[in-house]
Amino acid sequence: MKTTSRFLLLASVAATPVFFTGCETTQGVRNPAGVPVTEMRPDEKGFVQGTGVESQDLVSVTDKMARSIVGIPEIARAQTKPSIVLEPVVNNTRFPINKDIFLSRIRVQLNSKAAGRVGFMDREMMKTLERERALKQSGQVTASADPNVVEFKGADYFLTGKLEGMSTRTTQGTSDYVLYTFRLTNARTSEIVWEDFAEIKKQGLEDAAYR
Amino acid sequence: MTDSRPAPSSRARRPSLVALFAMSTAGLLTFAGCATIPDTPARRAAPRTGDPLIDGNADLAVAPDKDRVLLEYRLGVTALRMGDYELAKAKFDDAIARIGGLISGPVDAAKRSRGLFTAEREKVFIGEPYERVMAFYYRGLLYWRDGQPDNARACFRSAQLLDSDAESDTYKSDYVLLEYLDGLASAKLAADGSEALARAEKLTKNQLPPYDTEANVLCFVEYGRGPRKYAAGEHGELLRFRTEPSRIRSATLTVGEQTVNFLPWDNLNFQAVTRGGRVMDHVLGNKAVFKQGADTVGDVALVGAAVAADNIYKEKRRVVTDAQGRRRVVTETERNEGAQTAAIALALVGIFSKIAAAATKTDADVRMWDNLPQYLSFGALRLPPGEHAATVQFYDANGQPVADLTRRVTLTVGDPAKDTVVILSELKR
Repeated sequence: MKTTSRFLLLASVAATPVFFTGCETTQGVRNPAGVPVTEMRPDEKGFVQGTGVESQDLVSVTDKMARSIVGIPEIARAQTKPSIVLEPVVNNTRFPINKDIFLSRIRVQLNSKAAGRVGFMDREMMKTLERERALKQSGQVTASADPNVVEFKGADYFLTGKLEGMSTRTTQGTSDYVLYTFRLTNARTSEIVWEDFAEIKKQGLEDAAYR
Repeated sequence: MTDSRPAPSSRARRPSLVALFAMSTAGLLTFAGCATIPDTPARRAAPRTGDPLIDGNADLAVAPDKDRVLLEYRLGVTALRMGDYELAKAKFDDAIARIGGLISGPVDAAKRSRGLFTAEREKVFIGEPYERVMAFYYRGLLYWRDGQPDNARACFRSAQLLDSDAESDTYKSDYVLLEYLDGLASAKLAADGSEALARAEKLTKNQLPPYDTEANVLCFVEYGRGPRKYAAGEHGELLRFRTEPSRIRSATLTVGEQTVNFLPWDNLNFQAVTRGGRVMDHVLGNKAVFKQGADTVGDVALVGAAVAADNIYKEKRRVVTDAQGRRRVVTETERNEGAQTAAIALALVGIFSKIAAAATKTDADVRMWDNLPQYLSFGALRLPPGEHAATVQFYDANGQPVADLTRRVTLTVGDPAKDTVVILSELKR
């Protein structure tokens, strides 16, 4: 009896650690107090990332496009400052985006880096400008020049772009490829005087808890 | 002659202090393991105003992060149905940003939810694929309403992609309406939508209307109640969907001389049950196996402890001769230290096993977007700018109009530069 009891005791003591090895160890909760606000450069990858269009893509793509545009002969060696009108970017991807943001950043880059070699026409303001001109023409407000003379500039070039994408999703993860193309079209001849592209591919796999 | 010596004092027969301590501690621990599930803030009784938008925002303000997306889904669609489009946009934008950031985002909670002692519902809710699809679908409608059909198309494509990893090829990316709208948006943007239309036609037996790029009023109609989740299986480890057939099977919208029929294009109940198994189902299955195993080990060890405890004291009878030479039978109680130790050890193993079994969280996550419709439908018509009186009529399975759901609505066709998007739902909230 005594032997049996000792055997039972040893068996139970031995079984305990074996039993609990089945329990998954907890690595501990990371960032239990949260993550403080972190200021990041817009061109760096953050700690929260998806496969969509993100700020680092915007910065790298628009930087590349602005550098590319400013070097073309139509801009670099133009006798008179060419006027450019921005046309909305076409989004043909699966990611809803703020379409103006790409062209806004290219415009700002060109305005700040091209040292006045290009001019951009503010067509977004046309309704406001027309209303103001009408007020001047009717004499309701003062004018520093003859309001009946059309001074709104026409476009020499149109700058626009297109985002196109290919996406795959399987149990192995999600893959997204986005092709960014931008072009400058001569408003008079319809000739594409400049075109460039950038492409970004991202892949990710969600936690098994979501699959 | 038989004489019994006095039985051992009750003190001598009592289990040792160690055993008592172990038992009581284990008892406490066992009951500590039976934690009641506290009401989530989403269900916490907060002062109600009766306004679903105010109440929804109040719920969101106190909601734990893990439930935030769920509450935003619910509030977003309620706001959409009540005509508060800015609120709906804000809620869907935040929800979509959160679910989009999860690939390398807050995975800690998800990782924990895969552990044995954490319930699946502790992960950040993003919803089953059909729920995520609907978030993108509704956001797409709002983009279209804002004159951004390309961003709407992007949402429809994201939604369709979310359904592309169903287990069976037959049910991958099989939302008719999403394909149709993808093509319609392309057609409206002067691109080729014919491929998407062809895909949509392949997915349905119904005759789909050809694209009318001049149609400026796009009507999205929904009816019936969407799927309900419940946990099945011995340990609640199986996520299942309860689907009840809608009493409404079609609808019409009459504006002046024009009547548009809305037959079901997509059925969310069908979408929910045709996804196939989840990876998480295997994780929960393993948890259930562990729970069952631990419970069985606990039972065996406790029975063993009881048997060993029964052997701690053993009575022995022997014949003794006293000083007068009389013989008598004496009963003695013998204490078996080994059996006592074994009983305690087995009891501890048994109780810890029981605690482990009780603490193992096997329940499938049944948090659900509970104000989704069952059927989605679409129709387009041409109307001049201005206000138009219209009547919405819903029909049952026999084609009889359901009188209590008949509604008069006013369609306001405004800016000709963008389409007028009308969202009509049988569900009020």
